[in-house]
Amino acid sequence: MAQRLRLCHADELREGSARGFARGRPGRDRLFVVRHAGQLHAYLDDCPHQPGSAMAWRRDAYLNPDATRIVCSGHGAEFEIASGRCTLGPCLGQSLARVQLDVDADGAVYALGVEDCVGP
Amino acid sequence: MNIIGPDELHFGVADVAGCEQFLTDYGLLPKGQGRFEALDGTAVVVKHADDAGLPRKTLETANMLRKTVYGVANGEALRAIHDELARDREVKRLPDGSLESVDDLGFVLGFKVTQRRPIGLPAERINAPGDLNRPVNATAAAASGPNPQPTPRTLSHVVYFVPDAARAEAFYVQRLGFRLVDRFIGMGPFLRPAGTIEHHTLFLIETPPQMQGCEHFTFHMGGPAEVFTAGWNLASKGYQSYWGPGRHRFGSNWFWYFNSPFGCHIEYDADMDLHDDRWVPREVPAETDMSQIFLFDWRTKWAPGGPPPKME
Repeated sequence: MAQRLRLCHADELREGSARGFARGRPGRDRLFVVRHAGQLHAYLDDCPHQPGSAMAWRRDAYLNPDATRIVCSGHGAEFEIASGRCTLGPCLGQSLARVQLDVDADGAVYALGVEDCVGP
Repeated sequence: MNIIGPDELHFGVADVAGCEQFLTDYGLLPKGQGRFEALDGTAVVVKHADDAGLPRKTLETANMLRKTVYGVANGEALRAIHDELARDREVKRLPDGSLESVDDLGFVLGFKVTQRRPIGLPAERINAPGDLNRPVNATAAAASGPNPQPTPRTLSHVVYFVPDAARAEAFYVQRLGFRLVDRFIGMGPFLRPAGTIEHHTLFLIETPPQMQGCEHFTFHMGGPAEVFTAGWNLASKGYQSYWGPGRHRFGSNWFWYFNSPFGCHIEYDADMDLHDDRWVPREVPAETDMSQIFLFDWRTKWAPGGPPPKME
């Protein structure tokens, strides 16, 4: 059942960094959150060129070295952080599946509408 | 064409430090200047994508593999390759005596007289009733904690995504003397050069043009337990398992694939089948159950209760 899941506190997400969230399944993230230009963006950890493909090469390693693109380390696909659109690589023109976030008054970050396998 | 197999893979990457850490944790031996060797001296060479020492980028895709260097048996084999390729393309002779050219799909190739060192180690020893191989009082598993990271023995194979597998196969078979060993219909061929009896050193997968590049590369380990140990240790450091551990059907090699900062997967494998020219290639549809005879799945916690999983 889709639900509202607490991920972390917004202050834990530094500018230019990404963080994966697995919770229910260590070693395999369900989604990841990126802070870019002050904004938080979340996507499923699932490269569109091959459904079910995990994207990071190491825990939380979802970005290129200068943190300007999301990278899938399966086959090097690059994605715009703000839109999730693939700009280079196997899934050119396709997009990552966005996860809606909600940040409450205390700064807690919630993922909306994801399956309960991501439970806190 | 006495080509033995790939001796070096040269990558031009964005994250040099990340790649170097990855290869060290994978188990290769750092030799300086971006060179990481297996026990026999076959190697991955990592440079920044803008490094002038790399061949020019020939593919406008996400591919980071800039050159595949084949080891050949001797100078005579090198001359034969030069004469064959020079019929219709430029073949450079580099200062180190190697040749450099480009295949029919745009992959940069190097050729040099191989400098592989003898490995001089037995295969992983296993005991079975009726055939005892591991010496008495020699233990296979560490008494406590993880087994140390095994060192890969040799560069086994490389896999390319290609927009035209038939054309690529024709180049390697007709121009460089590779043999077809098996084929996944609708996907591509497993090929071995004339100088080895390994099931494959090159596998081609037909894909849309925007995917062209290296799909994965693989080093041979001393046996299946080394594949499991190496992969387990890598996953425990937070690296992302992609597929495995398991055992392939064609080649019978044990496998475990990981994501990597090289824009492709990297595999550990062991115990690949050997074939000579009497082998009749098998041709089957490319279905999942034809590529894995069995598959396990890495997980850090297997039952409720107990402490949370330990991760570095």
